[in-house]
Amino acid sequence: MELQQLVNQTKQWISEQPVEQIYIAVAVLFITFAFFLILSFLRTSKSNTIVIAGLSGSGKTILFYQLRDGSPHQGTVTSMEPNDDTFVLHSDLSEEKQKKRAVPVHLIDVPGHPRLKPKLDDYLPQAAGLVFTVDAQDFLYNYQAAAEYLYDILTKAIMVKKKIPVLILCNKTDKVTAHSKEFIKKQLEKEIDKLRASRNAISTADVTNEVVLGTPGTLFTFSQCQNKVTEAEASGLTGNISQVEQFIKENIRR
Amino acid sequence: MLEQLLIFTRGGLVLWSSCRALGNALKGSPIDALIRSCLLEERSADSSFSHESYTLKWAFHNELGLVFVAVYQRILHLLYVDDLLSAVRREFSEIYDPKRINYDDFDEMFRQLQKEAEARAEEMKKLKQSGRVPPVHAKKGGAGQRTLTGIQGNGAKKGTGGGAAKDDSDGDIGNGRLLSNGVDNGMKGTNKSRVASKGKENGAPDTGAFDVNKLKMRSKTGKKGDGEKKLAPTKGEPKKAVKKNRVWDDKPVEESKLDFTDEKGDERMEREVVVVRGESMMDKEEVISSESEGEEEDEVEGAKPEAKKKGWFSSMFKSIAGNSSLEKANLQPALKALKDRLMTKNVAEEIAEKLCESVATSLEGKKLGSFTRVSSTVQTAMEEALLRILTPKRSIDILRDVHAAKEQGRPYVVVFVGVNGVGKSTNLAKVAYWLLQHDVSVMLAACDTFRSGAVEQLRTHARRLQIPIFEKGYEKDPAIVAKEAIQEAARNKSDVVLVDTAGRMQDNEPLMRALSKLINLNNPDLVLFVGEALVGNDAVDQLSKFNQKLADLSTVATARLIDGILLTKFDTIDDKVGAALSMVYISGAPVMFVGCGQSYTDLKKLNVKSIVKTLLK
Repeated sequence: MELQQLVNQTKQWISEQPVEQIYIAVAVLFITFAFFLILSFLRTSKSNTIVIAGLSGSGKTILFYQLRDGSPHQGTVTSMEPNDDTFVLHSDLSEEKQKKRAVPVHLIDVPGHPRLKPKLDDYLPQAAGLVFTVDAQDFLYNYQAAAEYLYDILTKAIMVKKKIPVLILCNKTDKVTAHSKEFIKKQLEKEIDKLRASRNAISTADVTNEVVLGTPGTLFTFSQCQNKVTEAEASGLTGNISQVEQFIKENIRR
Repeated sequence: MLEQLLIFTRGGLVLWSSCRALGNALKGSPIDALIRSCLLEERSADSSFSHESYTLKWAFHNELGLVFVAVYQRILHLLYVDDLLSAVRREFSEIYDPKRINYDDFDEMFRQLQKEAEARAEEMKKLKQSGRVPPVHAKKGGAGQRTLTGIQGNGAKKGTGGGAAKDDSDGDIGNGRLLSNGVDNGMKGTNKSRVASKGKENGAPDTGAFDVNKLKMRSKTGKKGDGEKKLAPTKGEPKKAVKKNRVWDDKPVEESKLDFTDEKGDERMEREVVVVRGESMMDKEEVISSESEGEEEDEVEGAKPEAKKKGWFSSMFKSIAGNSSLEKANLQPALKALKDRLMTKNVAEEIAEKLCESVATSLEGKKLGSFTRVSSTVQTAMEEALLRILTPKRSIDILRDVHAAKEQGRPYVVVFVGVNGVGKSTNLAKVAYWLLQHDVSVMLAACDTFRSGAVEQLRTHARRLQIPIFEKGYEKDPAIVAKEAIQEAARNKSDVVLVDTAGRMQDNEPLMRALSKLINLNNPDLVLFVGEALVGNDAVDQLSKFNQKLADLSTVATARLIDGILLTKFDTIDDKVGAALSMVYISGAPVMFVGCGQSYTDLKKLNVKSIVKTLLK
């Protein structure tokens, strides 16, 4: 009963106002709504998030701290949780001229332990770029696992849809026995080619390989991917990370 | 002496290390091993972890996300480590600052804390020594002796030396007699003290990890009759007895072997060919329905009104007020409810207990977010933990491994093991069917030479699937049959050999020995344990005993353990899917296949997310 009365009262009040005012009010509401909608679209299309992924032991956490603080501190152990921070790249901080122009980067280091793999899916939607680290020194021991992880990442629907660029980073190049990036690239391409053959009809427990990589008939190369895949070399411990920084700068808020 | 004490964040950065100069000079990176095989496996409620020659103990500070790990030599038994860890945690959390990376000033504090802890431990020891508590002292004496005999020296002599050194006030225990007599009494004394000290420490966790020292000691005490009963309850028969045929009635034993192997094969049966019956369910995607979840929760909520109401109000109040940190007492009711829920879903009791403890250790001290109840925090933590356990830690892509073996020019060998009646032969045929659909040539090996009809069963499957089968009839040695089968497969270029073995109970010593002989001789690529989803608490026993026997009786340094699990009869359980969790937790092996029916297409992969959802419904 009271509700009825309230409704009647509001109806009366509305009819008392002049018609133009109502139209204007509605139009203003509509414009502000549309404005916010457009803003939200614009904002998500260029995020400043970079995700670092790779096998366990390939040097992601060291790279994270190098980028942030310029030194690997006292070393790291296997990560149990992701490292997530927004900061200005350390190398940008040192140059006085660039300080004002420096853009903060949101960097996420996702653990590489197989049991924590599902965590990567939580961060990929907001990623503007992915750095895939590979241990260039112990490459031949675990290149199959690395290729499988890379294959899983490249065939995720969100990677293909948003065309997230991938940088294959050959880490630990300061060691004498590290392989070159061309060798690593070729090995990975060969392995992924084999994986394509054995995986094309299987859906694994959590990750459905929804996309067929590259062109089926020919040998797989990274240039066949829809998203841009490049390679670089770096050394987390000594701080030789200029190529990574370049990749980061290219991909965030141009 | 403490080798190292390390403080690091959960994200992996080392904040402080007690031995700075050498960095990580420990052999074999035990800390990484700890994280990989213990903390990430939800065993963080264990008291300690042993890796090679080190023992590790740890403590968490969940609020700040820090882990404190102490490493020391395994042969030492430092009593002050727990004490030291909690003191370090307390002090460090006061000076911790998320922005700060360098904590050199903590060195002084640590040295002080260490001295204090050592002093306290010394005092405790003296108190116990002077008090009239001989059994406790015997434990220490026994522990000392145990470690000394653990080193494979002249056990008796060192035992006597040890006994003499600690022989202050306990003449009534066998230690006193060690001085006068030779080897025999030395062994006796160590037996008794060893029994007492066994209860003291959980050196090797009974989750399947194998402690070489214990095996060597056990084999020593095997010579002594009286020690054996106390120490080895699992050992059934003495080693020398040969397995005799069981005689149930008073009939005269027929010595002639009953071997009805049909030499020519049964030609009268029709050649039934299996037309492709459609895609094996392995290749179909599973759609997870998330709608039914909401209804189930309401039902559960309605079912327990009284207990919930009381807890609900007070926790609601606290959650709105926010900022209450989780204490063990708060967690207990929520954890108990979760544990009961898990157990109604057929998770083994021991596993549910361990899981709840592990979740408790990871949540203690954490601040509750505002507007979240204790039960929901516990639920999310448990969900994450279950997801972590069930996610395989190595690749389960068999086809890739098959192709890799093919390139190396050898067949890929899979051995199916399990207890009686779980469905090994049926599921072997299903796996063969699935492999055939992916253009892989398969060969079956009938190494179940005990059960009547086993060879015929496989022969029928082989005929229907049109694949070769290697059989030698009954009453033959399965290890030799398997070896010959693999050679035959290499000759006729089959890609995969599926070896069927006889079902055996995990307590049956001779049969387990035969199984490990088969595995050692043939070194298969994949040892698949077939377990049924209907099993309850016995799953824990089965898997741990299988793993232990395979490890004990292995002839090489790195024993072949169970590599994967095949879960069968999944269609018979509606939502009591807990057996999957128990098996994966206890063995660490991933579930590679799930059998959900009795026809060839009824084989699928485990959908981790839906299992977790079903377990926590």
